[in-house]
Parts: sequence; structure tokens; C-alpha cells
Amino acid sequence: MATSRDDFGIIIRSALLSKGAKQRFSLLALIIVSMILIYVESIDRKPLNFFRHFIKDVIYRGSALVSAPSKGFNSFTTNISEHINLYKNYNQLKSENNQLKNNIYTQGFLELENTQLRKLIEEQIHSVSNLVSARVMLDKQSPYLNSFIINIGSNKGIKNGMAVLDSSNFIGRIVDVNFFSSRVLLISDLNSRIPVLVEPSGHHAILNGHGINEPTLEYLPESHDIQDGDKIYTSGKEGIFPPGIPIGKFKNEKNLNKVILFSDLNQITFINVVIEDGNNN
Amino acid sequence: MAYFSTQIRFSFLNIIPVLLLFFLAFNGTSTINLGFVSINLHFILVYYYILRKPQILGYGFIFLSGIISDVIFGLPLGINALALLGIASVAAYVRNVTVRINLLNDWISFIPAILFANFVYFLSLYFSNVPIDYLYLFKNSIFTFIFYPILWAAFSFIGGLSQN
Repeated sequence: MATSRDDFGIIIRSALLSKGAKQRFSLLALIIVSMILIYVESIDRKPLNFFRHFIKDVIYRGSALVSAPSKGFNSFTTNISEHINLYKNYNQLKSENNQLKNNIYTQGFLELENTQLRKLIEEQIHSVSNLVSARVMLDKQSPYLNSFIINIGSNKGIKNGMAVLDSSNFIGRIVDVNFFSSRVLLISDLNSRIPVLVEPSGHHAILNGHGINEPTLEYLPESHDIQDGDKIYTSGKEGIFPPGIPIGKFKNEKNLNKVILFSDLNQITFINVVIEDGNNN
Repeated sequence: MAYFSTQIRFSFLNIIPVLLLFFLAFNGTSTINLGFVSINLHFILVYYYILRKPQILGYGFIFLSGIISDVIFGLPLGINALALLGIASVAAYVRNVTVRINLLNDWISFIPAILFANFVYFLSLYFSNVPIDYLYLFKNSIFTFIFYPILWAAFSFIGGLSQN
């Protein structure tokens, strides 16, 4: 019995402590370093943050470099398929254009009416004017976070919590800022909870991310009268995001209050970051 | 001249696992998701080479690639590194206790390695406030296990080329 315990000890020592042929570090030493790193991640100190940002910036650049060939190949295949579908797209765009032309006249009138009514109730008109554009540097499908990396960071005044738009649609917020890069947490992520407003009913709710599935509306009043196709906007209730940024439209499916996003989160190349609400300047 | 070209080919084939390890980490493709199927290539690569050819894949490289994966996936630094080193520990243990190594032995002993690595994931993510998708971890473990023989054959083929 004692012999088998000794054997086990020898095997464990041999596996974890001995460096073996051409190994520079023992497994145990590296396991301890990993544990220390995990612990250090929870400490928020300036020199540590500086070190973390530097490491992340370097790795993001390296990753962008390594991913360049596969990215190039993807864009090449997309180009080819776009060329193949050119005629079909042309017809579709032509009919869409006609429809939009018709809508423009009604929209212009509604905008004018809206401004006059707002003036009437002396409400300050919010405008989202301070936008900084950025390019998506890395968009890796992480099993744990629905996010991507953009090519601007604290060098352009980016801060944690800022709203991120795809053209004018809300798609997420900044969660990690480095010197020359930042991580955007998408609204589809499990961690994402955004206070929203449903129009025209005016109900407030929380937009809840579910990973690969569509986000859903939570905390709606029990007797709500929201219809399929109703628009969802940021409510600005949390005081971080400007109110009235379009997000998507409501769709009830299998008793779930789903939100179909206006932007396709898998097809984003350029984004805008809302640096500050226009009124705060 | 023939000796020189053989040496170059030998060195290149031996460096393939290290290149692959870092490519998977930098490219963010260590986990392949094809619809419902999800396979962790990193786990298989580390397990195979630590079990079969530990002289090719250094523990330091495994640690570094884990750190890179953490940054790319937005996880706290050290989680992937710890999980990969967990896999390497089980592989090193199995290598020490096994005399004859064949696919079946490798395959069966890969189960505790995956369980151990996912346990490390679970613990680290739990304490880091990163949401855990249990179904994802489960299906990833199952498909990584099922896919092992295919990559085992591919890596054995590369190993065979370097020996010839």
C-alpha cells in the first residue's frame, strides 16, 4: 500500500515538477503563475492597468496581422458572391428606392411637426453629434463574450460605458479601453442589459442579451399593448446613453418578447462611438 | 545537400505544432463552432503533443498561447492558460503511467483531461463574474472528445513525415 502511494507521488512529481527534455519551465511553476495572473486581474491599480493595456494592444495588433489572410479571403469570396447577385440586388434596390422616395415626403412633415410640438412643451432636443468613427479591428467568435475590438482607445478619448452605433443604430457599449484599442460588448451578449423605450406605446423595459439568440424585452408591464413591428429605442434612463437611439423592432415569438435588431451584428465594419451627449457640451 | 534539405524538412515539421498552437490562439479559432457542433482544437493539440512528443511543444508556449486566447476572447488573463496547463498535466501524468500508448488509451484518458480543463474553466469563470453557458461547455466537451481520433490521425501523419 505504502509502495503504491510512493509510486503515485513519484509520478505526480515527475509530471508536474520535472522539466523533461527541452522544457524550460515546470508545469507546476506555470500553473502557479496562471493562478497569480487570474488573481491579479481582479486588482484595479494604475501600473497593472497600464501593463494590461499594453499587453492587450500588442496581442490585438498581432492577431489582426495573423488574421489578415483569412480576412482577405473572406472579403474576396464576399465580393464574388456580390458580383454574382448584382442584377438581383439592383432590382431589389430599385423597388426599395421607390418606396423610400414615397416615405421621405411623409417623414419630412412628421419631423417638422415633432420639432414644433417639442418646442411647444419646452423640451430640450437631444442631439447625438459628438461621434468618433472607428473600424472593427478584430471580430472573433468568443464562446463567452459577444464582442469585437475597435481600433481606437484612450488615445481618442474613449471611456468605458460609451454607446456604440452602427451608422445611427445602437449596437453595444464600450467595456474595455486600452491605449489604441477598445472592446465593444454587443447588445446580444449574455451580460448586456439596456434600458429601452418602446414606441408608440411608451412602455419602458430592459433589453436582455441571450448570446446567439435575439435579445428579449424584460420587465414589461403585464397588460402591455405592444404590437409586432413597434420600434425600440434607448430610454437614456440609466444616464449613460443618450435617449432615442434606434435599436430594433418588436416581435412576439413563442411567447418571447424578441427584438429584431436594425443592424446585422455579424456584418459590421465601421462603427461610431458616442463621445458625449450633445447637450452636455 | 540531401542531408541539409532533410534537416530543414525535419525542423519545419517539428515546428508545425508550435506554429499551429500560436495560429489558433492569435486567430481566435481555438474553438470551432459549426452550428451545434463545437470543438476545442487547442485542447486536442496540447493533449496529443504532451502525451506523444513532449519535446516538441514546450509548456511555456502552451502558457503563452493560453494568455493570447484569453486576450482575444476577452476573458480574464490566465483562465485559458490554466485550462491548457490542466490538460498538459493530465497528459504528462498519463505519459508517466502508461507503457504502451495507442489510440484507445489516449482517447479514454482524454476524458479526465477534458473534465479537468472544463472544471478549471468553470471555477475561474465563476469567480470572474463571466456568465457560464453550461450547455455550451457540455457540448464542447462531447464533440472535442468525439473529434479527437481524427486529429490524432492527422498529427500522427505529420509525426510520421518527420521521422521518414
